[in-house]
Amino acid sequence: MRNKVLTFQSTHHVLKAEKILIEAGFKFDIIPTPKNISSDCGMSIRLDSESSDMSFLSDVLTYNNIIFQIYDYKI
Amino acid sequence: MKTVDAKGKLCPVPLIMTKKALAELGQDETLEILIDNETSMTNVCHFLKEYKMQVVTEKQGNIFRLLVKKSGNIPENAPVEDFCRINTPNLSDYVITVKRNRMGDGAEELGQILIKACINTIPDLDLKPKKVIFLNSGIFMCLKDSPVLESLKKLENLGIEILVCGTCLDYYNKKDQLAAGRISNMYDILNSMAEASKVVFA
Repeated sequence: MRNKVLTFQSTHHVLKAEKILIEAGFKFDIIPTPKNISSDCGMSIRLDSESSDMSFLSDVLTYNNIIFQIYDYKI
Repeated sequence: MKTVDAKGKLCPVPLIMTKKALAELGQDETLEILIDNETSMTNVCHFLKEYKMQVVTEKQGNIFRLLVKKSGNIPENAPVEDFCRINTPNLSDYVITVKRNRMGDGAEELGQILIKACINTIPDLDLKPKKVIFLNSGIFMCLKDSPVLESLKKLENLGIEILVCGTCLDYYNKKDQLAAGRISNMYDILNSMAEASKVVFA
């Protein structure tokens, strides 16, 4: 169950995060940012917090200067 | 023979009960499942077939009796909820056609995340399409290494048909890597679009 949503400051950050997370072996989906999180028409990353190493994820993104926020995913 | 009595139970309970009972069963043993509503019966059948189990269904009065031979194996983390298709009245009459592996004109990397987000949104739409068609470089969305494979499988489980252009698979030499959808030809594709109430090009 992909239950968490990562949001970013810009589409460029989403693209950068996507590349980094694929290289780091994470499984995730690119989705439009759910309306209950933001009314911007931005993109987000959806993943499963149970099967993903969230602290490693946080470390790689922070190391690459990508600022992000984590939300629960609800439709 | 072991019996799962799922009468009076609504989705996903019959699916969970079935999965649990099959896990306790030996290979090639038979399980009987009793269900009293058609939706759950269809969902359970779909689930079993996905995991290569042989199923025979019969209706006795208001009860569906399913006989399942454990001819396959269901992984412990099998996503039963994904098979829980609660009558989909929202399955609409339109078709989405994906003509390439990106959305819109402009920067290619942007087009690529747009198409991923687009396909990943279809399972969550209130108004779902009847079919999704993939043409030309759009077929890359249906291959083994596709980033949207899970969403496509979800769509298939919802009963949405996925048609993939066979000529295109052949041209790109990717036939052996198809992981979602069924190979289709121009006749089927044009017919599907002609029959649809409308066609949405992604």
